[in-house]
Amino acid sequence: MTKEFEPKIVAFVCTYCTYAGADLAGTSRLKYAPNVRIVKLPCTGRISPMFILKALQKGADGVLISGCHPGDCHFTSGNLHARRRWTVFRSLLNFVGIPDERIWVSWISAAEGNKFAEIINEMTEKLKTLGPFEPYKTLIRDIESPAEI
Amino acid sequence: MGNTLEEHIKRTRQLLECGEVAMVIGYERGSVENRRRATFVKEVSELERMVLDGLCCENLANYLVREELLRSFDGKKVAIFLTTAGVRSVNILAAEGQINPDCVIILGFEAEKPGELDSAIKMLDGEHVDHYADSIQQLKSRGFVNDRAQVIVKLEMMSAEERFAFWREQFSRCVKCYACRQVCPMCYCRRCIVDCNQPQWINASAHDLGNLEWNLVRAFHLAGRCVGCGNCEQACPAGIPLMLLNQRMAQEVLKEFNHFAGESSTQLPVLADFKKDDPETFIL
Repeated sequence: MTKEFEPKIVAFVCTYCTYAGADLAGTSRLKYAPNVRIVKLPCTGRISPMFILKALQKGADGVLISGCHPGDCHFTSGNLHARRRWTVFRSLLNFVGIPDERIWVSWISAAEGNKFAEIINEMTEKLKTLGPFEPYKTLIRDIESPAEI
Repeated sequence: MGNTLEEHIKRTRQLLECGEVAMVIGYERGSVENRRRATFVKEVSELERMVLDGLCCENLANYLVREELLRSFDGKKVAIFLTTAGVRSVNILAAEGQINPDCVIILGFEAEKPGELDSAIKMLDGEHVDHYADSIQQLKSRGFVNDRAQVIVKLEMMSAEERFAFWREQFSRCVKCYACRQVCPMCYCRRCIVDCNQPQWINASAHDLGNLEWNLVRAFHLAGRCVGCGNCEQACPAGIPLMLLNQRMAQEVLKEFNHFAGESSTQLPVLADFKKDDPETFIL
């Protein structure tokens, strides 16, 4: 019997909105896919593209970046800076063959526990159909296995 | 043809003699017949070794932020041979607080056919970055119409897997010599992110994963800052088409944020700025 593929999702979230939203999903006893690992950060503006590369390097199949809706940032404009950064970085990743479908960005407020659960479920489903991120995993395997002569 | 250099030399002689500039950065013959390299002239008697022809392709703005040179400027100005791309580099360095544009005297030139020895050289007017505002605007309105743009379109029509395979193959030749970084006027960080090992964000080894990560980070840090001088691609010993990545990023910021790198010496860097109505169609 083959086990169904369970994607690994890393979610980088802002503590003021999405993390609180995830909290609300939990306290509301909402059920959502257990495939997500949440990393809490002070603001979406704090999320560096390095984090995404690190997550992929450690075997993530998908990455979610989530924070406050525009206008709601605790630091006034961190999310607006982040918006530009992800526009540019996603297009770069896409250009080298790391498809958009694996890098998700969303705005989830502290009141949107439902939306958090929905997005995680939706993302998990999508990644299940896409399968493991094989091209990247080959790169990782290549450096971990001994050289073949 | 020769006039350009003569006039510029006359001007540099004048600047050196009256003590207005500490140094003139220009070109001299390289060790190989068809190569030119940077030269740093401090005395009038050294001026004769300078050359200016179609082979002078390197963007010399790179040297304006090299610390060992900066120290020798001694508070005086610097005269430097630059193309319009070089002027844009100076604009960005000024906007990012790295140099004072008033301390740079520009000796502008443009080769009709860059890379060819017998190319005609045109002298550009204006010794201050501000004098180039109009010609930079023209470049901006012209956009990116070149062979590279067509290659980019072709790449984008491939599937993600094919693109990944393409770049993996290209980056597999990378030996992590960091020549692309060293020749780039925009890579002036005292400590590059790849040199940081606590935490080590990206693999420092020159295996396929480490190479992909390095090239991604390099391209991202140049997004909206690259002026397309081509120093990196020229310096790359492995012949990786780095300018494809750079130009793709430049196209992106122009399309999404109407940002053209190095428009003026006060332009905010694209990723340090935002507008309330920036596009966000990809955000759920």
